[in-house]
Amino acid sequence: MQGGEDVAWATPRVRGSSGNGAAAAAASQSRASLAALAVKFAKRQRSPHCLLVKEHQVREGTDTAHPPRRTLFVLNVPPYCGPDSLSRLFSRCGNVQSVDICDKPGPGEKKDKTASKFFDHKALKGFQVAYVVFRKPAAIQAAKALSQQGPLLISTESHPVKTGISKWIASYEASIVDPKELKAEVDAYMQDYDKKVAEEEAKAAKEEGVPDEEGWVKVTRKGRKPGLPRTEAANLRVLEKEKQKRARKELLNFYAWQHRETKREHIAQLRKKFEEDKQRIALMRAQRKFRPY
Amino acid sequence: MGGARAAGPMGGAVPSRAANRERRSAAGGARTEPCCAVFSPQGSPEAAEEAEQGPERRAGGAVRRGKRAAPAAADPQPAKLSRAELYKPPTSEELTQLKETEDLFHSSLLRLQIEELLKEVTLKETKKKKIDAFLHEINSLLGAIPETPETELTDQAWLSEDVKVPFLQVPFNVKGRFHFVPPAELKVVGSYLLGTCIRPEINVDIAVTMPREIFQDKDNLNQRYHRKRALYLSHIAQHLSKEKLFGSVKFAYMNSNHLKPILLLRPQGKDEKMVTVRLHACPDPGLFKPSRFYPSKNNVRTAWFMEQSSPKEGATEPPTPHYNNSILCDTVMLSHLHLLSNAATDFPGMKDGLALLKVWLNQRQLSKGLGCFSGFLVSMLVAYLLMKRKIVKMMSGYQVLRSTLQFLATTDLSVTGISLAKDADPSLPVLDDFHQAFEVVFVDPSGLVNLCADMTASKYHQVQFEAKRCMEILDDRMVDGFQVLLMTPKPMLRTFDHVFHLKHVSKLQGTCKKMQLLNELMDRGGNYVAAALPFVVSLLARGLSQRAQLVAHSLPQISEWPIDAEPPKHKDIGPLTFGLLFVPEFAASTLEKGPQADHLEALEFRTFWGEKSELRRFQDGSICEAVVWEASTVCQKRLIPEQIIRHLLKLHADIPESSICYTGALLESVIRTGKEAWGTGEEAMVSVVCSYDDLSRKLWNLKELPLTVTAVQGVHPALRYTDVFPPIPVKPIYSFHNRRKHLLLPSEEKPCPAYITPLKIICHMEGSGQWPQDKGAIKRIKAAFHLQLAELLRQQHQLVCRPAVTHTDVYKDGYVFRLQVAYHREPLILKEVVTPEGMLKYQDTEESRQLELETLHLPYLTSSLHGLQQQHPVFGSTSRLAKRWISAQLLSDSISDECVDLLVAFLFLHPAPFTPPSSPQVGFLRFLNLLATFDWKNNPLIVNLNTGLTDSDCAEIKNKFVAARSRLPVMFLATPKDQWSSMWTRERPSAQILQRLVLLASESRRALEEQLMDPLSDQDVKMVFRPPLDFYDVLIHLNPNQIPRHLESVDRPVKSASRGVVKNSSAMNILFPVVDYDPVQLYLQELRDAFDDLALFFYDKHGGEVIAVLWKPLSFQPQPFKVSSMKGRKVTTLNNELVCVPNVEAILEDFEILGEGLVKSVEARTEKWTI
Repeated sequence: MQGGEDVAWATPRVRGSSGNGAAAAAASQSRASLAALAVKFAKRQRSPHCLLVKEHQVREGTDTAHPPRRTLFVLNVPPYCGPDSLSRLFSRCGNVQSVDICDKPGPGEKKDKTASKFFDHKALKGFQVAYVVFRKPAAIQAAKALSQQGPLLISTESHPVKTGISKWIASYEASIVDPKELKAEVDAYMQDYDKKVAEEEAKAAKEEGVPDEEGWVKVTRKGRKPGLPRTEAANLRVLEKEKQKRARKELLNFYAWQHRETKREHIAQLRKKFEEDKQRIALMRAQRKFRPY
Repeated sequence: MGGARAAGPMGGAVPSRAANRERRSAAGGARTEPCCAVFSPQGSPEAAEEAEQGPERRAGGAVRRGKRAAPAAADPQPAKLSRAELYKPPTSEELTQLKETEDLFHSSLLRLQIEELLKEVTLKETKKKKIDAFLHEINSLLGAIPETPETELTDQAWLSEDVKVPFLQVPFNVKGRFHFVPPAELKVVGSYLLGTCIRPEINVDIAVTMPREIFQDKDNLNQRYHRKRALYLSHIAQHLSKEKLFGSVKFAYMNSNHLKPILLLRPQGKDEKMVTVRLHACPDPGLFKPSRFYPSKNNVRTAWFMEQSSPKEGATEPPTPHYNNSILCDTVMLSHLHLLSNAATDFPGMKDGLALLKVWLNQRQLSKGLGCFSGFLVSMLVAYLLMKRKIVKMMSGYQVLRSTLQFLATTDLSVTGISLAKDADPSLPVLDDFHQAFEVVFVDPSGLVNLCADMTASKYHQVQFEAKRCMEILDDRMVDGFQVLLMTPKPMLRTFDHVFHLKHVSKLQGTCKKMQLLNELMDRGGNYVAAALPFVVSLLARGLSQRAQLVAHSLPQISEWPIDAEPPKHKDIGPLTFGLLFVPEFAASTLEKGPQADHLEALEFRTFWGEKSELRRFQDGSICEAVVWEASTVCQKRLIPEQIIRHLLKLHADIPESSICYTGALLESVIRTGKEAWGTGEEAMVSVVCSYDDLSRKLWNLKELPLTVTAVQGVHPALRYTDVFPPIPVKPIYSFHNRRKHLLLPSEEKPCPAYITPLKIICHMEGSGQWPQDKGAIKRIKAAFHLQLAELLRQQHQLVCRPAVTHTDVYKDGYVFRLQVAYHREPLILKEVVTPEGMLKYQDTEESRQLELETLHLPYLTSSLHGLQQQHPVFGSTSRLAKRWISAQLLSDSISDECVDLLVAFLFLHPAPFTPPSSPQVGFLRFLNLLATFDWKNNPLIVNLNTGLTDSDCAEIKNKFVAARSRLPVMFLATPKDQWSSMWTRERPSAQILQRLVLLASESRRALEEQLMDPLSDQDVKMVFRPPLDFYDVLIHLNPNQIPRHLESVDRPVKSASRGVVKNSSAMNILFPVVDYDPVQLYLQELRDAFDDLALFFYDKHGGEVIAVLWKPLSFQPQPFKVSSMKGRKVTTLNNELVCVPNVEAILEDFEILGEGLVKSVEARTEKWTI
């Protein structure tokens, strides 16, 4: 998917000095190439950001949330530009069906019905990419043609966008949860969960001790004879026990050769340490660590 | 700087240098030095390169800074010996060496370290030859100086104008005649011949024997000998100064004793720094009768000294032991040399041991000045120990050091003196005579000279204290003894808890008068500093006897001067500095309890304390004399010693308060909360903890909760006493806010409300089979708990709560606590992974790690540090100062709070070679020093909290650290519960930030110490808390009305907007205040989210008015077009290629848009960069 986007972006045939103009020129040559739309926050600002737009293309028709031919892919969406603003900006090109803003390009996720207001909440940060789905394919060209016009405005008098202090105050207000609503949601979720767990357990109880078609019996921790749990920790524990058992059986310093071995080992240890220390000293000397003042 | 996170610590320096180079080229030369200087490594690439080629260079020998091989990228890994080499049969030599190392040294590493140090400090052979040649030339020059005609001592007209007599001739008139005759004998004496002189100051002492015919009878009287000696030297100086051989000819006082001038000769040219030849004039042996100089004899007549015409009838002359001693010293120079050279023969360890001891003394600033513990003295001490067989000639240098320290630690020479004299001649004075005359007694072989004559008892106690401390360190296997004993300097400011200066030593003249020290003045030749000092110090020691374990003073020092200048006066020693080392338990007590009123000692007590002493009845019914000091807050109590010192010095020594500059608590103003009377926040912290304890009790006993609360643990810094500005109980003003139901909201029309910090508390719930075993379900259950906790606290304890999904805020006693429920198995469940074979494995994920940090490690750390605070009451304040400094330098977001706490904890847990700090100031100075000098690249910082690590653990950590260095964080902290991962420094600081911290710390420390040691300047210690802003690229100025913590800034604003709260803790409250709402932090978060890959943002969270922005140079280079890197950039063409560059104009406008209402202006310093 990601690769599919890149192919289109990697070969922009553009000439000229100004970024905006160049991109616009390219737009007319290829349907898949990019167009740059200048966009400003409000009238007051002087320097625009450039939104890069192109028709959304995928190799196979896998991306069902963003149907090909009528989805506009928008790059470099400034942080203060939310879905509402985008949809308003592009509504002049045709009816907008949906706007999907995300961190990086990727297949649209199926809208999850269970997504809740309180949990799985992801705040969008910084510059984003967006998929704008129009009702009609014709709107794509119209959108690209916007690059010929003056900068688009995100915040207008009729539709002001909140930033700064007013935005933070609003989000402080929004962070207050209604206990009743939250409680209701939690209760509903837990009921579902309990039901699911109960079903699973019932299923497991049914399978308990019943051989499958090849004659294997599944051992669970519920049964009469619970087996070892299949975890990494349990495996390590068993190995450790084995080792200890073996060590107990061994005799230490019993034979003369064992004595010799230990002595040899001691000298070898001393040598090794000496060698390591020499290395460390060499390193420290190199860093002039021995100048007392 | 952008991609440097990956660089790792070892190579950290190198990539950033590359980054700098790129940055410079990217800027097309327009961007110049300041920013590079700031973020560039200070010489560390060189160090790294040298480290890599260390072994080769050794092979190359003398080539020091010659050509460098291209730096190899590999870390120096410990070389492995092959198996064959490890197990080959040992030779006998090798065996003895290994054995010797085991017996004579602590470890082989220590042995090697000491060898390296000795190489570093001892004199090279080549230099020796040069010095010898120089000495020969001096010898021949001295013989050729012409004689002069005989004149009266007071007639100094024969001396040329270019030379001033290096002697304070007060009173000027004295009998006697002088003429110059070339020296009878020249002898090199002292450390040069013994081979024990050490760099950097190589001194060669030459004893110039003045011929007998210069002297007359009674020259022992009234400084006549001393004046002749001075005249003799000035005549020599006059002649030698004309010679081209010398780079400089100067006078100095021997050990700053103004009776004993010496002549300093240095060679010409580049060798000038190499050596200083010191000429001592001494009398012909046998000139004086020794019995005249016994400690009880008088040699300075009162009448002469007071310039009276005739002596008073019948008055006995007082003894002048110091004066006598100063003459005797000159007569025994040669015999001391013989003694030492006898000791040093066949004793290679002595030379090494003395070198080590001298380094040890130098690092402690004990070896210079009047009454110092000089290198000569320590040599004599070693000779004494050899005589007493405490040292044998078999010993190594390390063992000599150890035995000497052991002796010093256990012997108090101020009580039981020692003597080198072998056969007791009954006519000689006994030790008791010496003890009466001197404070410290160490008699030389002749039985006449006290080698420690000028030393005060306090100085000796300091030496003794240091020796004791060092013996403890050497026996402690956890400490790198070599490093702390020999390599760490101990300046007074960092050693003592409180330091104060006597600004004008001339005030000591008044002290001499007040204390009636005429005899001492005569004895000391009019040096009122030397005369008064022992009395002042013992006065202080008595006054602080309960509170201070050590009262030390700096040694008066007079630097050398050119021969045509007048000799320095007594007051030219500059300010005198005193240091106090406290007993933490008693230092801050407000009561000084004296004897019972009817006892005899009561009168003495009363005279000692003066008017401050009053009769008081105590609880046990006794009525005693007592002194009570006024102090209400902890920070005032810490300054009780100051009150005592000022009082005693005024009362007994006539030293006015204005002459005392007390630098005990100058820094505390930056952590002061609000008004003067509120103190420095210790009390506020205690009341927070009380309220927290109460809340946790309530939580424990909460009824109707389905599962019980098993543990309540605080994690907020205030709950471990290290919050820079502890929360103060407040009550909101309703009219200031908007409201929704029972909650208050910030209002757009009003200034931002005061910042109320939520005090986070982890509330562990009982484990039970009822907990679900699924991530999502656990989250929901926790949310349900938060709701229920809020509900129950409201019902059972009438507390106002604000529940949320991840926590519940509780408003109690004017504080807001944030409760977070934890289930101990949740991290484990987050870690679960099932392998394809169906095996259950546990793997760390980002989420699980975060949760573990919050619910497991942070509570543990908090309780450990809470415990540390109980042992060391200034831990919290030190940590707060440290954090305040880091935040003032705009780096608080670049290093974690916990990391700073641990660094400070290190200072308390591993103070060697110091003692644990007992004042925040000394703690802070040591913090800066630690940051600036610790070798983060090669060493882990091990913080042994609760002594949970053994020395083998430490060794293992060190070894593993070396092996895995490149994969570990740049700053590696190990604690007992976190030995391998350094969890508090994993993400922050980055290599560049650490470098900057190190640089800032060393600069701040230098500036601060300079100021604190200079009482005559106006001490503006806040200077190190004001960050330099000139190297940032963009400054975002903020509207002070919207900065909730505006009042916390270093320079407190004169006026600041009302914040809609009143200080209150008692009243019941119905409406919940605005919590954790700091627009500046929200703004910073948005800026970092949006522009993280383009710029770094710096801010002082304690009331800063400016956000400083630094562009990342790497991201300013034009980059090839890529979908993922388009953020905030625009497309342009460069050399016919499509590239994208940051859309800077638009970004600058974004700064204003995102901070609407908060940002006052954006100042782009385009002169520093171009696009």
